[in-house]
Amino acid sequence: MTSAAAPKQAGAGRHPNPRIRRAAAVVGIGHTDWVGDWKRTRAGEKPTDSLGYGMGAFVNALADSGIERSMIDGLIVGPTTAYERLAELLGINPRWGDQADAVLSVLQAVQAIESGFADVVALVYGNDQRSVGTQYGGPDAMGGNAFLSYVYHAPWGLTSQGALYALTLQAYKHAHGFTERELGEVAVAQRAWSSMNPNAIMRERITVDDYMASRYVCEPLHLFDYCLINDGGVALIIAEASIAKRIGKKPPVYIEAAGRSDLNHGATSLEPRLTDFYLPAQQAVAQQVFDLAGMGPKDMDVFQVYDSFSVHVPLALEGYGYCAVGEAGKFLRESGVGPGGKLPTNTSGGHLSETYMQGWAHQIECVRQVRGECGERQVENCRNVHYSSDVAGKAVSIVYSR
Amino acid sequence: MNAADIRTPRRVMGLYDKPMWESVDQKAMKLQRCTRCGSFQYPPGPGCPACLCMELEWVPVSGRATILSWVVFHRQYLPAYPAPYNSIAVRLEEGPIMISNLEGEKPSGSWIGERVRLVYVTMPDGVVLPRFELDR
Ligand SMILES: [Zn+2]
Repeated sequence: MTSAAAPKQAGAGRHPNPRIRRAAAVVGIGHTDWVGDWKRTRAGEKPTDSLGYGMGAFVNALADSGIERSMIDGLIVGPTTAYERLAELLGINPRWGDQADAVLSVLQAVQAIESGFADVVALVYGNDQRSVGTQYGGPDAMGGNAFLSYVYHAPWGLTSQGALYALTLQAYKHAHGFTERELGEVAVAQRAWSSMNPNAIMRERITVDDYMASRYVCEPLHLFDYCLINDGGVALIIAEASIAKRIGKKPPVYIEAAGRSDLNHGATSLEPRLTDFYLPAQQAVAQQVFDLAGMGPKDMDVFQVYDSFSVHVPLALEGYGYCAVGEAGKFLRESGVGPGGKLPTNTSGGHLSETYMQGWAHQIECVRQVRGECGERQVENCRNVHYSSDVAGKAVSIVYSR
Repeated sequence: MNAADIRTPRRVMGLYDKPMWESVDQKAMKLQRCTRCGSFQYPPGPGCPACLCMELEWVPVSGRATILSWVVFHRQYLPAYPAPYNSIAVRLEEGPIMISNLEGEKPSGSWIGERVRLVYVTMPDGVVLPRFELDR
């Protein structure tokens, strides 16, 4: 007897209403001093709390945008701070507000703007996860209330987020002949990018041999496959497109397209990770965003992938059609995702090497690449940046454009 | 510390988990089967996701399964699990995927595709865990 067949991705072939295309644009970005706060927290200091990190990032985003605080009429705060208290500290009485993770907060801002609930939305995230010792593993793991898989398998010692992705990688290696050296290309490439990023915490370049010599944490994942855990904040200001053109100090960066598709069938026992490798959800989202944008993978100058673990990258390369299914290893080896590679990916260094802001810092790296503000690591003539997040099989994707 | 003081990591014990763990304590693990479409549920729950039938019956599992994936922890996270230790994902013959551990002899190459059978292991604090061993 076999289990019931998995349901197909709902709404296949449909995409969000074209009205959302270029309806909103990013006019300001800001973040805290990740490198300085890394040193201070490692020395046992407590620079500020989650609210303080969020507030500091907001101040910087406001300055970057050049707009007045009074123009902000919408507010989204990240999942790590209480909405009311952060709004109180920011001194904002918006006409629309919400709480969401990085990628969904961008989608919600676009929805609010397109439907007229707000014109100028601030998105604010702060997290003191390092200095308070947030647990991402163990029977009380963060997120266990939202994702049963994070806590359900604790009696068998399977508690860490890394272990879930190690199981995925092992099955993926077996299915496609993918090797650990090929996965090592991800960490090596992202370190090459971060070596050119003054905001990155880890900047020392590594080789695939260094990667292979590094210890396993949860085999087959090596230490270099894991994200950092650090304190910090990120903020963005997103405005209705015509307002953005008028008020922004810098050229607006448009949200060209966005979409989402979930894999929930068998989620608690990890079926989407172990047998589908998130593929059906990513393929469905790829169709949504690329159809909506009237573009394809070839038009993307930079790819940004939510990388709590390096293994997200090969799965996303296949899921979004940057290479054929089963050929991510070859792509990583021969085409490359690092500086000079065919598809510049996680150009800030990502969660592995820059900062672990749970997807928020990826959004501002998208904006910086489109603006051309990335200095030594700038990808030449960057017009379109594709962001992908696939946490726990919820595939969400955004295209940022000039 | 006495061995008996080392606690097995907490089991999620929702309304529908309880009968399953009671069957594990009796070393005859049961899962819910849909009375309409016959599909098995793991973890246990209030109804069948395949056909939305709310009438489920508890049925013993065969204990036969196949390994889908495995990992080896090289770091200790939990007092009950000194490193190195393994976790496996198995596909039960009845259909669902379950996370567990492989007891005893380990395959020399890839573990994926190895046939395994259910065994019951009593932890130092008395908790009985369903685990698997190679079925050769
Ligand atoms: Zn049914």
